Amino acid sequence: MNIQEYISSGIVESYVLGLASNEERTEFEQLCATHAELRQAREAFEKSLEEHALDTAMPAPAGLKKQIWSELSLAGSASSPLSTEKKDGQSIPLTPVRKLSVASFLAAASIILLLGSTLLNFYFYNKYKSSIAKLDEMIASNQQFAASNNAMQTRLQQYETSLNLIKDTNMAVIAMKGQAIAPQSLTTLYWNRQTKDVYLLVNALPRAAEGKQYQLWAIVDGKPVSAGLLDIHSTEGLVKMSNVVKAQAFAITLEKQGGSQTPTVPIYVMGQIQSSLLLLFLFQMG
Amino acid sequence: MNDTVTYNEQELVLSLKAKDQQSFSYLYDHYAGALYSIVLQVVPDKELASDVLQEVFVNIWRKIESYDSSKGRLFTWMLNVARNLAIDMVRSKAYQNSQKNQPMPESDSFGKAGNSVQLSVDNIGLRKVINKLKTEHRVLIDLAYFKGYTHEEIAEIESLPLGTVKTRIRSALTQLREYLK
Repeated sequence: MNIQEYISSGIVESYVLGLASNEERTEFEQLCATHAELRQAREAFEKSLEEHALDTAMPAPAGLKKQIWSELSLAGSASSPLSTEKKDGQSIPLTPVRKLSVASFLAAASIILLLGSTLLNFYFYNKYKSSIAKLDEMIASNQQFAASNNAMQTRLQQYETSLNLIKDTNMAVIAMKGQAIAPQSLTTLYWNRQTKDVYLLVNALPRAAEGKQYQLWAIVDGKPVSAGLLDIHSTEGLVKMSNVVKAQAFAITLEKQGGSQTPTVPIYVMGQIQSSLLLLFLFQMG
Repeated sequence: MNDTVTYNEQELVLSLKAKDQQSFSYLYDHYAGALYSIVLQVVPDKELASDVLQEVFVNIWRKIESYDSSKGRLFTWMLNVARNLAIDMVRSKAYQNSQKNQPMPESDSFGKAGNSVQLSVDNIGLRKVINKLKTEHRVLIDLAYFKGYTHEEIAEIESLPLGTVKTRIRSALTQLREYLK
């Protein structure tokens, strides 16, 4: 085979342009391997074809490169190398759209947070108010307890004091029995032999009429001496009366408010000091 | 930035086979226009041609392994990928249906079908060179190269003996080489 004739037969162009049959292709490739002139001829036509194609190129569609990169999932390279596609309209809206979506997301989120926070504030304010009310109630009831506790303490102290007075071994006890006007009445008189203090326990006495008050009298050598007035209100426990140095008997009459100089009849209760007790008093005085 | 980076053919092929994205970017920037031109000569509809061109580059990226430099230059390979995909598009049913209400695109009226989307492609790329050929040659090259018919099919379409078809095409191609020099 004359290779020059083969070269000029049109087989080179036919092969390069893809118009050759399979048989022709196989033959051409085999001959190329052994004939440098054939390869050179092929290469020359390829180059002229490529140059012509580049010379007559059409501007590629705008944005196509980006689509291709996107389809092939080629990372990040679509933006930077595209000097020819900088005017590509598709790339421009991306950033603002994304920014806008972030901004609106943040705006929506902050509105939701604000609403949530307002509701929580309302909820907590209500809880706070009810807590304050409960606290006030508790403070009030605590004060009630404290007050009643004080009262109890006071009464307990009174009883303790009374008990201690009664337990005192120097205390003489004189029962004053009800007389004709009030036979059910009874009072007990405690008279300290050392200090001469006199205490009166009202076991039972008729309620004093309005403007009237019970008065204690010590009968000294046949004469009544006032030993103090009974407080109308505090008739519980031992009531401290005036000191009495010497007496043979005690009596209680109902007098006008503030007491009298001399007792008025009738006598409600009366008690006499036993002679042995009287001796004991006299002995200690001596 | 790619303006400063240039590849010789061998480097470009090696980089592409190594799936180097920068070299692929260079390839696109350098050849997309030339390949778009060849696609448009087969598929005159700009949108469809754009779809084909996308497919061309996707194929180049995915099938670069199959390129054998001993059988020809990289551009020749890409050119054939582009031409084959473009012809596939024209032969697809979808394309045939979209064209059925239009007059048959005979060689002389091709691209002048009155459809505003279609380009007049007579004056772009190889067609401009082919238009310098005698009509009897031009018709055969159009059928063979731009419509992808085999020599046997062309013989049938043109009612010519197969030998005549082969001889005329070879003759047309040698003239084409002279025009391209």
